[in-house]
Amino acid sequence: MSGQRWRLVITLALIVVGLLAFWDTFKLWTMSDDERQAMQEEDPGALLALQQSAIRLGLDLQGGVHVVLRVKTEEIDPGTAAGAVERAMQVIRTRIDGLGVAEPNIQKQGDERIIIDLPGYTDAGRAEELVGQMAVLEFKLLENYDNAQLLLQKIDSVIHEYELAESGVTDTADITEASEPVADTTEEVDVLADLMGTDSTRDTTDFGFDEELGVSEDTHPFSSRLDQWLTNTQARTSWPCWAVNTRDRQKIDTWLDLPGVKRLIPVDVQFAWSTRVEIRNNREVWDLYLLKRKVQFVGKYLENISLRRGQYGGNEVDFRIASEGIGRFAQLTGANINKPLAVVLDNTVESAPFINSKIRGNGTITMGGSATLDDAVNMKIVLEAGALPAPVEIIEKNVVGASLGADSIRKGFYSSLIGLVIVLLFIGVYYRVSGVIADVGLLFNIFFLLAVMAGLGATLTMPGIAGIILTIGISVDSNILIFERIREELRTGKTVRASIDAGYQRAFVAIFDSHVTTLITAGALFIFGSGPIRGFAVTLFWGVTLSLYTAYVITKSIFDIRKAYRTLSI
Amino acid sequence: MFRIIPDTNINFIGARRVAFGFSLLLVALGIFAFVMIATGRADLGIDFAGGVMLQGHFDQPVSIDNLRSGLAGTFPDAHVTELADFESPNAFIIKTKRPETDAEGKERAATIKNILAESFAGNQFTLDSEHIIGPAVGESLRKDAIWAVFISLVGIIIYIWIRFDFRSGVAATVATFHDVLAVLGILFLMGREFNLLIITALLTLAGYSLTDTVVVFDRIRENLKKFRSRGEFVFAVNRSVNEVLARTINTSMTVLIVVVTLFLFGGEVLRDFSLALILGVIVGSYSSVFVASPIVVEWEARRPSRFK
Repeated sequence: MSGQRWRLVITLALIVVGLLAFWDTFKLWTMSDDERQAMQEEDPGALLALQQSAIRLGLDLQGGVHVVLRVKTEEIDPGTAAGAVERAMQVIRTRIDGLGVAEPNIQKQGDERIIIDLPGYTDAGRAEELVGQMAVLEFKLLENYDNAQLLLQKIDSVIHEYELAESGVTDTADITEASEPVADTTEEVDVLADLMGTDSTRDTTDFGFDEELGVSEDTHPFSSRLDQWLTNTQARTSWPCWAVNTRDRQKIDTWLDLPGVKRLIPVDVQFAWSTRVEIRNNREVWDLYLLKRKVQFVGKYLENISLRRGQYGGNEVDFRIASEGIGRFAQLTGANINKPLAVVLDNTVESAPFINSKIRGNGTITMGGSATLDDAVNMKIVLEAGALPAPVEIIEKNVVGASLGADSIRKGFYSSLIGLVIVLLFIGVYYRVSGVIADVGLLFNIFFLLAVMAGLGATLTMPGIAGIILTIGISVDSNILIFERIREELRTGKTVRASIDAGYQRAFVAIFDSHVTTLITAGALFIFGSGPIRGFAVTLFWGVTLSLYTAYVITKSIFDIRKAYRTLSI
Repeated sequence: MFRIIPDTNINFIGARRVAFGFSLLLVALGIFAFVMIATGRADLGIDFAGGVMLQGHFDQPVSIDNLRSGLAGTFPDAHVTELADFESPNAFIIKTKRPETDAEGKERAATIKNILAESFAGNQFTLDSEHIIGPAVGESLRKDAIWAVFISLVGIIIYIWIRFDFRSGVAATVATFHDVLAVLGILFLMGREFNLLIITALLTLAGYSLTDTVVVFDRIRENLKKFRSRGEFVFAVNRSVNEVLARTINTSMTVLIVVVTLFLFGGEVLRDFSLALILGVIVGSYSSVFVASPIVVEWEARRPSRFK
């Protein structure tokens, strides 16, 4: 009888512990949307604490972003490749922290992959931009205007030839030979450009609206698509920055990629696009810059980064120059007053403000006109976190909207409920009072399962819900085995007491075996499964393990009392 | 005492020849399906093949044929399903598989979104979920799945061999493989997609079907102690199957109840998963009666032994 008492004490203790573990989950799950909203406003810290101690919901249930990155260590110097993935994780973690996601999960997978889980965060585009960008910030000078004009002329004639060849007018068609005549024409153009030199500078005083001046698209396919844009009105100088209509951008890119054109571009300069598209005079335009390739200053010397609303409504990122960089930056700015200094982030130009005076301590990056506040915040975050040690690529992305998650929860909840009710009824009707006892055991089983999930901080996923539902079906098996055995023993004419004893004893081997096989499967799935599948393995594992306890301790305790009965309702 | 199954004495073992023929057919189908999957000719889900899956809904009704033909120009392999039971009406899932590179998956997703915005201008498409898997990830998921299957099958076999003598161990293993292959084959015939969840379901049903077999074998072991003479072997096995029949059917019933509710109300994500389990429960019950025990009987008939 003392064994009986112990079982009762342990079970009661487990129930209390279970209730404590499950309490926060219960509160959170029964909260209405309005209440949750109210709590979010009044006491976000308490809500967060509640969420952390409750059963966590997987991305598939609460919505969120899952990204797998590959760190391209092959693209960097092998000497620095060691530990590049760890450093990249560190940088990404700092960036994600800046985003303010409640419980981000960042982990390494294999040798070169990083998994990033942002539960509850659904702005995939922004998350992608934030984790995917290398964030190398460089300050570069622009090429001088005259050299740029010369280059444009050369490019024009190469492309003109190329276009003719492409359209088949000159019928050279054979592409392998195409490069030869192209090389020839460039020399001619050199001469031509020299002669036209004065002309091209005069264009700029009219701000170079070539189309209006009637420069033919046929003979100047390249420059006719570029509108001179950057001019210092005070210093009366123009700079190689052109506005390009969005529809022309792809064409320009293709042209710049032609071998014949690439050959024309001197090694110390480079073309670069603006980071974002801008709207000017009702036109969508990208700005194309011609930069000097030399890096004048780098982002790692910036500190104390803060955001500010600019004079004209744009966003500005203020920074201070770290002491190691002050001399260098002062020298750079002092030597280039009235010239534009391009702020280049990952090879696109954020902006190219004119240097007004020698800058010693503090500076400002004026963001492009179309930059939103999010863009500015992203800029601040990546500058603070620093650059990635190697470029990364996104090799998997999974975005689940909050409404889809809610829909899954609803479906999971209702199908569990329906399945549970039918099973309870079936067992109750079939095995009468004994069935009702088994039903009580089943309810305990589900309660303990949820409590363990909450206590372990396990994550519930949609397949995890399937695991719970399956547990409902499978865990009844222990009771069915026992009951069928008791029935058989009763039929052979044994007493109630002897039948119950024999039933529990003889069914044990089969029950134990069946549990072990399910646990093996769950274990393998847990080790090799990814997120959602792992959720399934976890619920199945615990559901099945706990059912052994409920069958052999909880329902057996009740049966022990019934041993004294003369007849058994089974 | 309320009983669906009265005391039975059906001659299950007598019907073993017919059952073997039927089972061989199922297994052959399953092996064929397995070969098709292994060589990549079966319909693999985007988690294994790599690809793009977009789920979203339109503001106004859109016919699925319009949607298909709108996408067919750019993505002839695009697979479109309409979601009947999603909370928003006019919801669809669009999939395209096997991108060549990691970057291509991303481009495809963007292109599909553009096509939807252009072809159905004025009818806003809201994205509810977007899943892009590059070929490299697909490959590692395939590897992980193979490992999971391998480890759990090896684990199960080791357990069987610890618990049983050689013959029943072989019989139980055969029955378990039979069930997995049969379900694999039936799903293949039905043209279902093979993804991680299906593999999960197959492993779960392997565990389940083994449980069924174990219960029968436990009873055989027990009954053989009562019926010791050689002539009684077949009788003892058949009697054991009959004795545990009520349990087999009742447990199958409760599991069927839950997997059928899951199939009906669990939503798109779990539909094929629960279908595989439904098939698994049925095949698993069948095999514990008609496959596992008859193998032991056949073996004993050819090479008599003292079955323990």
